[in-house]
Amino acid sequence: MTDTVIDARGVVKRFGRFTALDGLDLTVEAGQVAGFLGPNGAGKSTTIRVLLGLLRADAGTVRLLGGDPWKDAVALHRRLAYVPGDVSLWPNMTGGQAIDLLGRLRGGLDPDRREELLARFELDPSKKARTYSKGNRQKVALVAALASDAELLVLDEPTSGLDPLMESVFTRCVLEAKAQGRTVLLSSHILSEVEKLCDTVTIIRRGRTVESGTLEGLRHLTRSTVRASVDGDPSVLSGLDGVHDLSADGNRVSFAVDNDRLGTAVRAVGDLEVRSLVCTPPSLEELFMRHYGDELSALDGSGGERT
Amino acid sequence: MNALTGTGTLLRFVLRRDRIRLSVWTLALVGTVAATVPALDEMFATEAQRRSRAALMDTPTGIVFGGPGYGLDDYGLGPMVVNELTMSLLIALAVMNILHVVRHTRAEEESGRAELLRSGAVGPSAQMTAALATAALVDLVIGGLVAATLAGSGLAIADSAAYGLGLALAGIAFGAVAAVCAQVTGYGRGAAGLAFLAVGVLFLFRVVGDMAEPGGNALSWLSPFAWVQQTRVYDDLRWWPLLLYPLLVCLLFAAAYALAGRRDLGAGLVPPRPGPAGAGSLLRGATALHLHQQRGAVIAWAAAVFAFAAAFGTLSSEIDTMLEENPELGAVFLGGTSEVMAGYLGTMVSYTMMAASAYAVVSVLRTRSEESSGRAEAVLATAVSRYRWFGGALVVSALSSTLIVLLGGLGMGIGAAAAVEDSSWIGTMLEAVLAQLPVALLFTALTALVVGAAPRLVPLVWAWFGYSVLATMFGGLLGLDEWLVDLSAFSMLPLLPGGEFEAAPVAVAAAVAVAAAAGGLLGFRRRDLLPV
Repeated sequence: MTDTVIDARGVVKRFGRFTALDGLDLTVEAGQVAGFLGPNGAGKSTTIRVLLGLLRADAGTVRLLGGDPWKDAVALHRRLAYVPGDVSLWPNMTGGQAIDLLGRLRGGLDPDRREELLARFELDPSKKARTYSKGNRQKVALVAALASDAELLVLDEPTSGLDPLMESVFTRCVLEAKAQGRTVLLSSHILSEVEKLCDTVTIIRRGRTVESGTLEGLRHLTRSTVRASVDGDPSVLSGLDGVHDLSADGNRVSFAVDNDRLGTAVRAVGDLEVRSLVCTPPSLEELFMRHYGDELSALDGSGGERT
Repeated sequence: MNALTGTGTLLRFVLRRDRIRLSVWTLALVGTVAATVPALDEMFATEAQRRSRAALMDTPTGIVFGGPGYGLDDYGLGPMVVNELTMSLLIALAVMNILHVVRHTRAEEESGRAELLRSGAVGPSAQMTAALATAALVDLVIGGLVAATLAGSGLAIADSAAYGLGLALAGIAFGAVAAVCAQVTGYGRGAAGLAFLAVGVLFLFRVVGDMAEPGGNALSWLSPFAWVQQTRVYDDLRWWPLLLYPLLVCLLFAAAYALAGRRDLGAGLVPPRPGPAGAGSLLRGATALHLHQQRGAVIAWAAAVFAFAAAFGTLSSEIDTMLEENPELGAVFLGGTSEVMAGYLGTMVSYTMMAASAYAVVSVLRTRSEESSGRAEAVLATAVSRYRWFGGALVVSALSSTLIVLLGGLGMGIGAAAAVEDSSWIGTMLEAVLAQLPVALLFTALTALVVGAAPRLVPLVWAWFGYSVLATMFGGLLGLDEWLVDLSAFSMLPLLPGGEFEAAPVAVAAAVAVAAAAGGLLGFRRRDLLPV
């Protein structure tokens, strides 16, 4: 078993004139749960399809489980399981048939685990796929993937149709997979889910990697929010290096501070006869917004892009 | 808000969506008429030529594709046009109307788009009404243009108008059949299949009725295929048979709206039943998956082709009677019953091949919908190679069309053998279809080639199929040069019985099929899976 499960560097993928991936980098080490974030149209699904050998990269190098995903597709696919973002099933087949079929095509699945997962996800396998809701179709793909022995799970927005109850079942399943030593690539919009599950995070935008690393490491690079009640005059804080968005309302004060200046800022607050102090590390949401914030403000302008 | 709110908007939307599709149908149908009329006039210029052509219309082949045979005594341009063209035009109109109505009713529901539309200020009957109204509009335009073309060629104006109106009304009736079928099953494909089956049976009613009695018997009158020609246009015009169309259409519309009003959006008449909670032991591997997906369609096509082939084979029994009644025929064919029969059954072999080839194309094209729906992605992300998945689809297509071809041959053989009490016809007909089998395989392979190597060119396969059907059916009539007729897939290989078997073209066709299939497989391995 290789240590690096996914190693993509400088991947470029064009569809006609549209560049979907523009030098994307993604690394996932064995045994990690890796979060893969980005807004709609950033290229998450395209990246996953390149990793699965369904699309061929125009440039860059891609290694998956030590092989070439395009050339060695079949051999590699025996070792991974995939849950597409938009699960489409054969309308005249039951969910149970689809699970068995996908499992067999992958090289077999564990019947006991299949039963257990069906029960946990509360899925009726004897219903025809065309009568399933989006969430139930997603459960079919999840059961098929999780009941396999695959060492790598590739999950593309797997919880977008699940209710909160099922989402927590999913979370437990992923943590169990991690405990078994499996590697998980989890593309998602749901930041709380990524925060709960992921060891590392890669944030992409317009086909490029804009941030990657452990969640702790990423937090360190950004700002914390400080809220305090003080008796002294908070205006002195505005002169400090690394302090932003200072607002004072009576004796309450709040500001954001670059994490490498946090110590100085807290000392300065301490000098102001502090009565209460709350310091919040940046949430993933804030990390995310920092990279897409300007896109949000430009939304009413250009209308954005899509793949 | 009433049941029809939003119909106007949807109507414009349907016309906008299908502007190219509907224009192509209109141009193709009217163009065929416009090209055939002068060609007929030129080809059958003398009295003797027309008389021998009229005699041909009295044979089983003539009745199947000509009609009840009005105006044969004085076979002028008008009766000639009606006898040569009506059935082809009606079949084309049936295909167009059925596909159009299903596409805008059941297929929309199945895809979930109808749900989106119906959540707006759109009445529950608006979509079906818009689909039927647009179909009727196009039918009337086609009918009007055909009437104008015929009147413009110097034919009687009243008769031309009656003929054009008859075609349009028949088209509307076929659309109404499709509207009823669309209520029965939850699947668009199933609805279209059901409608084609219903229309096929109606076609058979007319054929059997017209064979039994000159001018048709009561069975003929049950079929909307008959009523256009029962007006006896260009012979002894009577308008009243056209009244049967509005009668049938009203009945079918009432049934369709009543059924639609009683069911939920997206539901068929038969509620979905629970199925097996696990896959059977046979459902393993990509080829098994393709087979599982297509088995219903294959069984339906094969059974329909077998039934029609047997029915047409049985009609050979009429040949003897006709030769007795019409000694002139013997002179035309310079032979006895078996020569006439061989010619008739040879023509039927061509039609069997058309059906089998159409299925071969449809079957391979299923891979496209698997791909665009994302289901191919799910399979190809498992340990299934591109070759296995796509190759499996080709194997299923080739085997299914072979089955259809063989059952067609067997049906005709059994029918003919029973009709003339000579069992050797079974072997003869099986040989005849086997000699043509490479044509169907060629369609499998060529479709594979475009799907694998250049998916955008898929319409080219249908274009060649359409050209082949037209060239084989009308090539002689239009006076096409021989090389143009030879470009037709159905005229490339020796047509038995009656023709002479040659190994060379069969071998070439088979070799081309193998090469094209290999090209398709390589192309599919090398290209990106299409993004969803």
